[in-house]
Amino acid sequence: MIFLARRIAFYFAAFFLAITFNFLIPRLMPGSPSDRIIASFQGRLNESQIAAIRKAYGFEGNLWEQYVTYVQSVFRLDFGISTVQFPEPTASLLFYGAQWTLVIVGLAIFFAFFIGSFMGIHAAWNRGGFFDSFFTPINVMMNAFTPAIVALVLFYAFSLQLKWFPLGRAHDPNLMPNWFDLKFVGSVLYHATLPVLSIFLVSFGGWHLGMRNVMINLLNEDFVVMARAKGLSENRIKYRYVARNAILPQITALALSIGFALGGALVTEQVFNYPGLGKFTFTAIGARDYSFIQGQLLLLTCSVLVANLLSDIANVILDPRLRGR
Amino acid sequence: MSSDRVLLEVRNLTVDYVGDNSIARAVDGIDFDIREGEAFGLAGESGCGKSTVAFALARLTRLPGLVSGGEVKLDGEDVLKFDKARLKAYRWREVSFVFQSAMNALNPVIPISEQIIDVIETHEPNLGKEGARKRAVELFELIGIPPARLDEYSHQFSGGMRQRICIAIALALKPRLIIMDEPTTALDVVVQRDIIEQIVELKNRLGFSVLFITHDLGLMIEFCDRIGVMYSGELVEVAPSGSILTNPQHPYTKALGNSFPPLTGPRVRLEGISGTPPRLTDLPVGCRFAARCPYAMPVCREQAPALRFHPEHQSEAACHLLN
Repeated sequence: MIFLARRIAFYFAAFFLAITFNFLIPRLMPGSPSDRIIASFQGRLNESQIAAIRKAYGFEGNLWEQYVTYVQSVFRLDFGISTVQFPEPTASLLFYGAQWTLVIVGLAIFFAFFIGSFMGIHAAWNRGGFFDSFFTPINVMMNAFTPAIVALVLFYAFSLQLKWFPLGRAHDPNLMPNWFDLKFVGSVLYHATLPVLSIFLVSFGGWHLGMRNVMINLLNEDFVVMARAKGLSENRIKYRYVARNAILPQITALALSIGFALGGALVTEQVFNYPGLGKFTFTAIGARDYSFIQGQLLLLTCSVLVANLLSDIANVILDPRLRGR
Repeated sequence: MSSDRVLLEVRNLTVDYVGDNSIARAVDGIDFDIREGEAFGLAGESGCGKSTVAFALARLTRLPGLVSGGEVKLDGEDVLKFDKARLKAYRWREVSFVFQSAMNALNPVIPISEQIIDVIETHEPNLGKEGARKRAVELFELIGIPPARLDEYSHQFSGGMRQRICIAIALALKPRLIIMDEPTTALDVVVQRDIIEQIVELKNRLGFSVLFITHDLGLMIEFCDRIGVMYSGELVEVAPSGSILTNPQHPYTKALGNSFPPLTGPRVRLEGISGTPPRLTDLPVGCRFAARCPYAMPVCREQAPALRFHPEHQSEAACHLLN
């Protein structure tokens, strides 16, 4: 418990550091967003108009006053107004994008983690056998592809040519978003299939390899040999004595990838025209939508921190060696 | 404590390690018996094949290791030919194992209780969870650790306690033979003494046999009834522990004895054995010890001596000097 309390304190400090940097970086760069807007009017603004724009973008007063205003607005979940989708508040755009990104990246990570880890367990257990010699090299190869290629190939083949899957959007626009409506959920899954598949295909090999390598190291441990000498069943040794230990480093890696999930699948969402955070970020960078980029960075920071905290908690639950510290 | 009834009969046991282009014969056709209630020791330097023999007896040999010949007979049945079902019953119920390093022999993320109970449940399912748990409590009492600590994890115990726990697990099904592969090597001498005394006491009480493997010849002589000395994959001498150092027949046994300091008596200068054992992939035709043997004769380099019983010494030895 002291261990967890210390971790939580650490993450809180890290969070403050992150929002401080998030505040400082745009201000240290030449040309603040408000200057850009003011410049775009080519001197046709009067004093009070300039002051109003500065105030709207949080550039009023000295640095410390700006910082206090910024921190307050962060805790009110007020990230300013988006310039791209004016006058939509950035916060609502972020949450809209985050929901769809979580659908595809979450599903992809879920399938990649379970299928990849199971393949890794099986490959390590029958090391050098057919399954291992066939799938391990293939999965390494799949892992080496960039998401862009896989996404483009899938999109071209199944959306453009065969027309089995839609050309964009997260769901049928004629349906009202309602997570309790099976028809809506079905439409979401239908639209998510190809994006999920393309992320899955380039990532499950990593889980396969990670699990396989840790498993193989563990297979030579005395406690595994002893479990065999005890005459325990094959499955018990495989899952309870080996995979149980090998999953620990995988959990940490899983938490990290869930954390970065909210970074969005930039390329995949772009290719499939999917309204997730990655696509919004892509647009926002092109349009210099500072408030969106700042908000997105903050969201990413928070999700990485929360994921790390979850991984700490999971490790404490799963690894008795960490308990009681 | 030992009777004359033979428990395990090892005949011509041969174990190879198979490489891509080579075969290393780690154990080359060895013969010995382990009697009921006996502590039989296997001595010899690192790499001579002691642990390989132990693993082969427990049917734990895995690739690249390969048992390529011989018999291991238990009540007339060949252990090496057991099918899956018979093997399951043989494991732990008839032969259990205490591993060298108690640090690694227990799974760090499974409670000790489960590691004791699972083996009981696997082999005696009709005992039920309650019965298995009760047995685990008895085992902890037997080795002198409070049963309240049963559900703790291995990192919560000291090295000596962990090795005791391993012994308790080895006793869980009251096996007839316990193979102890360097059970005390990782422990300091005081703890080592406690553990050995406890094993002797348990052995006297429960009457199991022990195959004892260690580098520590002094400890082995104290604990074992008979000792087999291995060199380069062969047994060179098998003799009662009382006479193996006082009346060694094989020059290697003699040399091995000379490299241990006596605890009592006058100080003597220790002698090492010059040279190194032959490579297992490139074994000589004659006696494997000939190159390092101070008494080697021409015949030693041409013909390998067989292990033969010498009644006048109560000892089996493989050496041309004795013929």
